[in-house]
Formats: sequence, C-alpha cells, structure tokens
Amino acid sequence: MYFAGVDIGSTMTKIVLTQRDHRVLSAIKGPTGPEHRQLANEVMKMALEQANLQLDEISYVVATGYGRLNVPFADRQITELTCHARGVSSLFTNVRTAIDIGGQDAKCMKINNGKMVDFVMNDKCVAGTGRFLEIIAATLGVKVEELGDISLKSTKKLEISSFCTIFAQQEVVTRLSDGENLEDIIAGLHDALASRVAGLVRRLKIEPDVVLTGGVAKNAGIVKAMKENLGCELLIPEDPLLTGALGAAILAKEYFLKAMSEGEPSPIKARRLERAMFFR
Amino acid sequence: MIDKSKGLSKAKEVYANRSHRVKELKAEGKKIIGYPCMYVPLEIITALDLISYRTCGDMAEPVTEADRALPTAFCPIMRSCLDCALKAKDDFLDGIVTTHSCDPQEKTARVWESYINYSYFHFIDMPGTLRPEALEYYRGQINDFKKSLESFAGKELSSEKVKAAIRLHNRQRALVRELYELTKPEPPLISGTEILQVVKALMSLPVAEGNELLDQVISEVKGRTDGPQKKPARLLVWSSTLDDIDIMQIFEAGANVVMDESCGGIRAYRADVKLTDDPLDGLTHYYATEITCARTFREAAFGEARKDYMADLESRFGHLKHIAKEWNADGAIFLLVRYCDPFAFEMPSLKDYFDSFGIPSTYIEYDYTQGSLAPLRTRVEAFLETIS
Repeated sequence: MYFAGVDIGSTMTKIVLTQRDHRVLSAIKGPTGPEHRQLANEVMKMALEQANLQLDEISYVVATGYGRLNVPFADRQITELTCHARGVSSLFTNVRTAIDIGGQDAKCMKINNGKMVDFVMNDKCVAGTGRFLEIIAATLGVKVEELGDISLKSTKKLEISSFCTIFAQQEVVTRLSDGENLEDIIAGLHDALASRVAGLVRRLKIEPDVVLTGGVAKNAGIVKAMKENLGCELLIPEDPLLTGALGAAILAKEYFLKAMSEGEPSPIKARRLERAMFFR
Repeated sequence: MIDKSKGLSKAKEVYANRSHRVKELKAEGKKIIGYPCMYVPLEIITALDLISYRTCGDMAEPVTEADRALPTAFCPIMRSCLDCALKAKDDFLDGIVTTHSCDPQEKTARVWESYINYSYFHFIDMPGTLRPEALEYYRGQINDFKKSLESFAGKELSSEKVKAAIRLHNRQRALVRELYELTKPEPPLISGTEILQVVKALMSLPVAEGNELLDQVISEVKGRTDGPQKKPARLLVWSSTLDDIDIMQIFEAGANVVMDESCGGIRAYRADVKLTDDPLDGLTHYYATEITCARTFREAAFGEARKDYMADLESRFGHLKHIAKEWNADGAIFLLVRYCDPFAFEMPSLKDYFDSFGIPSTYIEYDYTQGSLAPLRTRVEAFLETIS
C-alpha cells in the first residue's frame, strides 16, 4: 500500500511517495517553471522510477500547493497549509507553531495535537519570501544558496529599512556605493526578511516547539535572524522543502483508510499519467 | 427557456445587467440618483419620486482612469467606483449623493464632484461617534440633504410623503430579513450567492419593484426542491463591501454561507427606521446608529478613565454573536479589503471576541481584483480544513 503527495509550489515541485508507516520511498524536487506546472506527470514518473513502483500500486494521491489543481491524477486537493502542518507534526510530535517560508509566500500554522487550528499567510506581496532573496541575490551577483554562508561572516549590524523587495533592491545598490561590505549588507537583508516574517507570525501566539520549513530554511543566515527576531529556538527538518509533500502523502493514507473503513468501494482508481490540459 | 417570472432568475438577470432597468426608467423621464454607500438616506430620494441606484466598483475592470485622480495605495473599491464613473459606465445618472462614512469616500467624493458634471451633487457629512451632540449635528446634515434634493426635484416634501417612503423601505428591510430566515434550515434553502444577487438587484431597482422581487423570491425559495446542497460547514461572513459573486462562490465551494454581514448582505436591512412624528428624527437615529459598519466606533460608554475591553467588544460586535448563534454558524470569515482602515482596525479585537464564545474565525485580505481570488481561495480552503 503506497501513497503519493504532490506539492506544486510557486518555485519548486515536490513529490513524496510513502508506504503505510510513513517511510519515504522516494522524494523528488524539481523547479516549477511555466512548463513544469503542466508536467506534474513527468515528475511523478521520476518519483515512481526512484521507488521502483508502478502508478497502479499507488493507492491514493493528494495534490497541494499553488498548482494543486493542475494534477489530473490526484484523488483530492488539500491546501498547502494543512499539508505542511501535517508533515511537520509527523516529524516533530511536540510542534505547536510551524513557519514555512516558500518561494512566494510565508505562512505560520498553529498546531494542536497534530491538527492545524489557526494560520496566517502573507498577502500577495512577495516581501518576506524566497523571491525577495532571489531578486536580491541577482542584484548582488551571488547565488541564492550562497547568501547564508556569506552573511554569517558579517561583523557589523547594518539596517536595511525597506521590506519592499524593489525598494530593498534600490537600498542595496545605495549601500554598495556607500562602500559597505557584502556580508553586512546580506546580513541586514536577512534581518529585514526575518523581521517581516516575525511580524506576520506574531499575529498568532508563538508557542514552542517552533519549526521552520520551506526552501528559505536552508539559509543559515535566515535561520539565525529568525531566531533573533522571534527570541526562541527553531527546529528544522532534514529536508525543509519536503514537509508539504510529506504531509500530503500522509493525508493520502488517512483519507484512503477512512474510505476503506467506511466500506466505500476501493478509492483506487484507474489513473493515467497525463499532463494537465487545463489551466486554473 | 427560463421562466422569467421566477424571482431568482430575475435577480440573476438584474445582477448581470444592473443598469438595464434604471436606463428604461430614465428613458421614461425619471431622474436617477446614484449613491456609493448604504449610509445615504434613500427614503428622501424615494419620497421625491426619484430613483436611487447604488454605484458599485467592478472587480473585473482594471483600474486605469482613476489613477490620474487618486493615490494607488487607497481603498480599491472607491478607486474602482471612481474608475467606472470616469469611464462613463454610470453616465445615465442625473446626480450622486455621497457621505463621509469613511475618509476614502469623502476624499473620492471631492474628486468625483470635480471630474464629472452631474446635474446634482450632494455630500452628507457624518460624525464618527454616537454622542448626543454628534447626533444633533447629523440631524442637521439630513435636513440639509432633504432641502437640497427638494430644490433639485423642484418640489417640497411633506412629512407624510417621507413617512410613506420609510414604510416602503422598511417593508424591504423586513423582506430581506425574511429571506435570511430561509438560510436557517440545514441545508439552507437559499445560497449566499443567490442572496447576493438578490441584494445587488435591490440596489439597482426602484424600491417598490425590489419589494415585488423579494416577494417572488421568498415564495419561490420556500417551495423549492433544488436548493443548495449541504456542505461541511455553515459560515458567517463579515466584510465592508462584498459585491461580487465570484468571491461568494469561493466560500460556497466548501461551505454554506448562511449570513453575510456586509453591505452586500444584511447590514443595511437588519433594523427598521422608526416612524417618529418628525420622520427626520427616525432617519437620523437609523442611519447614525443602526447600520453596523466599522466606520463608527461603538464604545460601551464614554468618559471613563479606565476602559472595560470586554464591555467594548460587546458594544461593538454583540450583534455578530447573536447572528452566529441564531444561524448556527460553524465558523466566521472576516473578509478585509486592502487599505480599509476602519475594518482592519477591528480585526484583532473581533477575533478575540469570537474566540471568547468559541466560534473559529479567520481574517483574509484581498485587493478587489480578479488576481486576488486564487490566494483568497487557498486561505478559505485552509480555514475550512481547520474547522471541518
């Protein structure tokens, strides 16, 4: 009995295949481009190959993320908020607060006994998200995955006062021409992002344990700045990108077993790995 | 062929083509008076045999023209209203009445007045509190409005005429309340989307025709067998303006909206205007105190050195608790229009208040564009996943 969680985020597509005890058989991450949005089937093929499984061995598929409606072979769509909360609580049983900083949104979920009870999410502005870092990295001519290590070398606290991505970009250019050091500028930017996310998160009462996920959690400079801004310890999963897809796979199992226990006809349906022909 | 005598399909038609009827009436020589806010005393307009027509924004129309007149970080609904006016979408209006229900509305009114040449323009000032001196001042404002509209219409209003108009509008309020009784059963007999179409039709038709439509809708709905399906949750929605069924359909994809406390729903119909000896007294009281928009801060008592937070919450939001219980709501969504300060300020306290009696709630912001619907859908679905 195998289950799939498909998380089509704004930047990355993630697929996790699990067996009944939640053990992960394969995990695939790939960029979500305008093309890839229609190509969840291709990523699924890769995941199946890695796990050495056939599609008809998958009992139930849950799709989540921005592109959750673009997965024609999914049995159910569930929002990324519920899936992240479920994935995080399967990894950290004492989690009460989960913060996810993704490619174009930042969100915080309150969790009680493994169930999401409240949430906040940024509005559609990308300040305080991964896109902010991507744009700034491009302005500075460094790779986004190098930002964290560079910022840890900073010795001087530099305030970047703009939350707005575009204004921050202008501010960075000014700071560079003022002769400030790259590592101090990047550390200042990380602090600007972290204080923006912390402001969002404080709308909910922060209770430990606090878990940080999403691609941005791979940036050590952000993790440091988030800890300082929130004034608490942060737990980070081994792969912070995968919690949404993992949660989706676990929810797939739960929905499948519920359907079986209620005596419904087997929800395993004949699926074909077709590309989504519609766009919503 | 759709039976056009049926109320719901007629409401749907009026919703889709709102100005059709007033244009017909204009061709017959009637004068049409626009108003962008439910705080305008429509009874005065009706009593003078003029037709009131609520000017709305259009979420599907990108704001372009209003950019030359208004700042961009500004109430997107007022921007959209003015944009539609500047694009001559409401060019059948003979006049417009605006009010100081909030600052964006007041500022927009000034711009509106200077850009577009209506035959009639009037601005009603409104106090921000309910203190006795404020009500006295507001009564003067209503009287000024009456005098100015009399001079536009070229006739004087008798007390009896105003009272007759109040009765007609009160009839409409009673019928809308009766309509909302029909969302109490499980599942409701009428959907939030259908009610929004009806209420927006009421804002587009002469009041007597609106009342006929309501009679039709109510008898149709009471006898229907094709009502809404039961969904996993019953929702209360609270908002400033909710005037587009695209939004309501996002809520209703996963829930039954049983109450819409916004000015696209029950807000302007919850109470009646009292028939006082001088009808302007009843109008003053109703428009100042009975419409529960966040633009007025309803403190429990003034002049106290220390504030009692819970008493203030009761005074500001008590009616919402009553509604949530009576309509058996499982959850509440507070829908906030970006840059709507009066409603934004209420959010943390309102959430505290709902927490105090154990009904889960969330607030979601959108910016009155089609582009904001996808993020809105994610938040609504996530909220419904937490409560069901």
